[in-house]
Amino acid sequence: MSLRDVEVRARKTEAIIALAIILATSPIIIGFSLIILSSFSKSMVTNFDPSSFYPTLENWINLFQGRSAAVGGLREDILKYTLNTAVVALGVSLVVTLVGTMSGYAISRMNFRYRKHFLLLILLLHAFPGSVLIVGVYFIYRLMSPIAMGSITTFSFFYVIIARASLEIPMAIWLMKGFFDLIPWEVEWAALIDGASRLTIWRKVMLPLVKPGIAAILLFGFLAGWQDLIYVRTFLAEKTLATFIEYNLGTLEFAEMPLVAAAATLYLLPTIIFFITSQHLLLRVSLAGLKR
Amino acid sequence: MEYKLKDFLRNKKYESLIFILPALILIIIFYILPVALSVYISFTPLKNWNLDRYLGTIVGFRNYERFFHMLQYDPIIRNVFLTTIVFIGITLVINVLGGLLLALATYFVSEKFSSVFRTLWLLPRMAPIAVYSLVWYYFFHGSNIGTLNSFLMYLGLIKEPISWGYDIIPWGPWSIIIFVNGLVGVSFGMIIFTSAISNIPKELVIAARVDGASNWQISTKIFIPLMKWHILYVITWQLLSLLTTYAHIFLLVQWGLVSKQYGTTWSLYIYQVAFTGRTDQGLAAAAGVILVIVGGILGYITLRILGFERMITKPRGDI
Amino acid sequence: MKRLKAISKYVVIGIVVVLIIIAAVAVFLMQAPPAKEKPTKVELTGNFEKDVVEVGKALEANGISEVTYSVWAAGDPNSIMRVLGIVEAANRINKIWSDNNVNVKIRIDTRFEREFMPLFEEYLSKQPTGQASDFLANSYIYISTLAEEGYILDITDYVSKYSELVNDFYPTIFEAVKWKDKIYALPQDTEARPLYFRKDVAACAGLDLTSLADKVKNGEFTWSGIYNWAKQAKEAGCADWGVIHRKGSAHPDLIQFIYAFGGKLYNPDTGKLVIDKEAIYKWLYVEWKMARDGLIPENMMEWDWGKQIHPTVTGGKTLVFIGGTWHWTEYQTRSYYTDPTTGEPRALTAEEVKEFFYYTLFPAGESGKDPVTLSQPFVWTINSRAGEKNPNYDTLKELYHELAFLILVKASDPDINAIHSIISAHLPVRKAAAQLIADENWVNKLKNLEVDLSDEVKDQIRDIVAATVNPINTEFLADVSYMLDYTHIAPIHPLYPKLADIFKDAVDMVLRNQKDPAAAVQYIIDTVNADPDLAAEVEIIGEIPSEWSYP
Repeated sequence: MSLRDVEVRARKTEAIIALAIILATSPIIIGFSLIILSSFSKSMVTNFDPSSFYPTLENWINLFQGRSAAVGGLREDILKYTLNTAVVALGVSLVVTLVGTMSGYAISRMNFRYRKHFLLLILLLHAFPGSVLIVGVYFIYRLMSPIAMGSITTFSFFYVIIARASLEIPMAIWLMKGFFDLIPWEVEWAALIDGASRLTIWRKVMLPLVKPGIAAILLFGFLAGWQDLIYVRTFLAEKTLATFIEYNLGTLEFAEMPLVAAAATLYLLPTIIFFITSQHLLLRVSLAGLKR
Repeated sequence: MEYKLKDFLRNKKYESLIFILPALILIIIFYILPVALSVYISFTPLKNWNLDRYLGTIVGFRNYERFFHMLQYDPIIRNVFLTTIVFIGITLVINVLGGLLLALATYFVSEKFSSVFRTLWLLPRMAPIAVYSLVWYYFFHGSNIGTLNSFLMYLGLIKEPISWGYDIIPWGPWSIIIFVNGLVGVSFGMIIFTSAISNIPKELVIAARVDGASNWQISTKIFIPLMKWHILYVITWQLLSLLTTYAHIFLLVQWGLVSKQYGTTWSLYIYQVAFTGRTDQGLAAAAGVILVIVGGILGYITLRILGFERMITKPRGDI
Repeated sequence: MKRLKAISKYVVIGIVVVLIIIAAVAVFLMQAPPAKEKPTKVELTGNFEKDVVEVGKALEANGISEVTYSVWAAGDPNSIMRVLGIVEAANRINKIWSDNNVNVKIRIDTRFEREFMPLFEEYLSKQPTGQASDFLANSYIYISTLAEEGYILDITDYVSKYSELVNDFYPTIFEAVKWKDKIYALPQDTEARPLYFRKDVAACAGLDLTSLADKVKNGEFTWSGIYNWAKQAKEAGCADWGVIHRKGSAHPDLIQFIYAFGGKLYNPDTGKLVIDKEAIYKWLYVEWKMARDGLIPENMMEWDWGKQIHPTVTGGKTLVFIGGTWHWTEYQTRSYYTDPTTGEPRALTAEEVKEFFYYTLFPAGESGKDPVTLSQPFVWTINSRAGEKNPNYDTLKELYHELAFLILVKASDPDINAIHSIISAHLPVRKAAAQLIADENWVNKLKNLEVDLSDEVKDQIRDIVAATVNPINTEFLADVSYMLDYTHIAPIHPLYPKLADIFKDAVDMVLRNQKDPAAAVQYIIDTVNADPDLAAEVEIIGEIPSEWSYP
């Protein structure tokens, strides 16, 4: 929401702020535009030299055919990779949001021993490097894999989602606690007096009031899953779009760059769509919803 | 009276347990347990993922000794420390301030405009790390294929392309890695602060406007005080992230964009030392333990300074 | 008292945590391997058809009708025979089986990536979880690590039955599959690293290329000669640069300098790596001097492959390129060249490549030394758990392993190796394959895909064959095969990649004049000594020569 909805602003200040934002954003705009542009060119466009842009659609055609090179290479199933990535991303997003909102509420509202220590612990553990942590997660994977019993692929998906989500849950807890804290106690109290259970209160009363927080967690969870490389590469029995791109870039020595640029552009689209959708769904409703 | 399941569930104690249990289980299994295991692993000669062979062997403090030996004698260490301190210090400020400024600025302009630009600022976070690194690899490339170089030459500001990552020591490579990580980090704070602001009721702002408050006053007197928890969290979280992050720098060093001497932070150094050639996971675990102790202390100090104790008030909610 | 209670509470928690960890580790280690029953196996005889039919019959008798294996490989896009070779081998075995009434079929799942190091790292982490492929085609340098951890199969016993095959492999190449006197793989391909000279640049500068290859071969033309030629070319304005080489790593191309100066990298008696101060000093000196005099770019290690290195080489802006044999066809399938008339980026034609490039060995560093080249063979390894995803693995393990080995034998068929060599411009690893390549009739048939390949493989290589099979390319391959007589192979040691990485930093420093060659040698030694484990595996020999000049 923004101030524009409620009053008339001084145009000049707004224009200055807007200009500052545009300037600050310009490297991102330039950098990413060049990548997108390069996906339509025969050679990578990296500077303002117009001769390096030689338009062609062949990169996109090759990409959708699953080729990683114009000549040679093996066909790969890009659609499947995209689906795999989506499954992981959505899975992580849902798990983090669900678990995060539940425990964020608990931490915010309920007093239990070691509440402060718990919060501190999960925050400070973030200082532990991921490249080391994964060995421990790997150990547990091997301990748990007899459960898989034949369906190693499904198990690996399940494991990646749960393990990756667990890394994001501390952030979700901290964030949601902050949001729940802002909601006045009276709202809940009224519902409790009426005889509602905690679960109902949580679901029907509290969640709608923290929609911006939920939107943030959904987004971060989705991005964490969509972008993940190290867990996917170590545990997942299949490839995702992220590993596809990473493998095809490598040390840049053999990379077919414009084609990778096309893959990268394809990769960005679902995240943008997810972001816009989740913003619309969650934040527009809250404008009409309950506010203190 | 019959004791039904419903009554059981309503019991206060178990209610809080149900809410916190899933998180507890997941965090313990997939976070705390692996960390504890890593501590154990730091006392083993584990390498190449070969748990079967090495997990049962204890080599005492050997990995720690090796690590400290390297800290003492590796010629690159002094530069690594300098780089780490500068990198974390400046990027932290950029991340938090940038996120805050963007969240505030987009509040005061039209919604359509804000959402477009917020999406743009999320692109660094949405792109695969390799592609994101590629963007800046081309942008800062030291020859005339570099975007920045060609832009400056086009404007006539420079005659020859400048090798940003190698010629301007140390601030060239430092600026690049700060810039690259800063752009990613800003969006973290931006999203959180934007969400926090949108939860603040409009009436407060309207009342302030009626009293003639400027944008600046609204930001500093209303928004920021109400976002204390979020700001505290973002600062500490980003500090710890910066301490352990290497992914966004790793490729830039590997692809030769920045000088290794001044482009390597502490966490990247550990990664390179442990994982070049042989996947030396025992050594990495030892270094990780040191890192988490250092990070934990730093993080705790930060929290104390920022008033964590005061903000963890007893919750209201128990009848 | 209260304080004591509080502390003891933490102590108890700590003890509980430690106990849990120890319990978890114990449970893990106790996951004993399944009870060994008497394995069913077939005694290999060395007669391929007989062996494979016996294995097939044994599988059929155990109720197996389909065997699935997976193969992973990496390389440039033209090298897909690294996986398709296995597919073709499986198809050939299936045919033998159907001809002999054995009702079993092999099915192969394939995966082909661009970069081989990340694939190796993925194999490392997935092998213990059973998710890695049954076959891996990757660089030989990883054999030591994979064998040391027990991730790949020791096939010494199987190979001993197939001595005829072994004798057909080139001996130097076959050394690459051994580690601690055991055999862990079969060679898949190799390459050489020629020095490419631009004929047009040489002509412009008045440099005579006739019989240069021979002069290099007999040690007459050394790196001093390269320096003089490069200087002449640059001063005459015929090229921007004298020498261009790879970026990003010193291994493998630049390691040739060490061998070219007669240095050592490995001590076979102690099994340790060697830092040969004299040879390394001379190598770094050459790079340093040429950079100071503008013959090599100071920021060579920073150049971009696709937008600088390859366009410079194809565009004739350098006299010399330290390249590899695969570049010959890479330039025919990738668009690095800007067409002078249309401005369009395109690939070179085979005729243009021949017209542009002259090739020699890597010259001796100085007179009295020998020319060299470096090969980095690719090899096929078998997972020590190969066949695990198939039914009854515990009982039939030996059979599955034997079948995997036989697949490798078939994949080493001369025609498969020859086809791979031609379409990807690698060198054959066995003499029978080299003979095929020299056979014009056979090559012509290959061009029309009139060779004995299964249809699925033919379809996949169709476009590569069209782009790369022609007399010019086969002539090139035949021409460079002599280089294998001068080739060196970088040490097979788990820590070699670490050492090579340190070399890379040293090269970058001398090119940029951040350190002079002597200081750079010291930097290498200091960095090695900083890591106790690495220092223990490295011997330092020789001294920096006090009186030595270059050129």
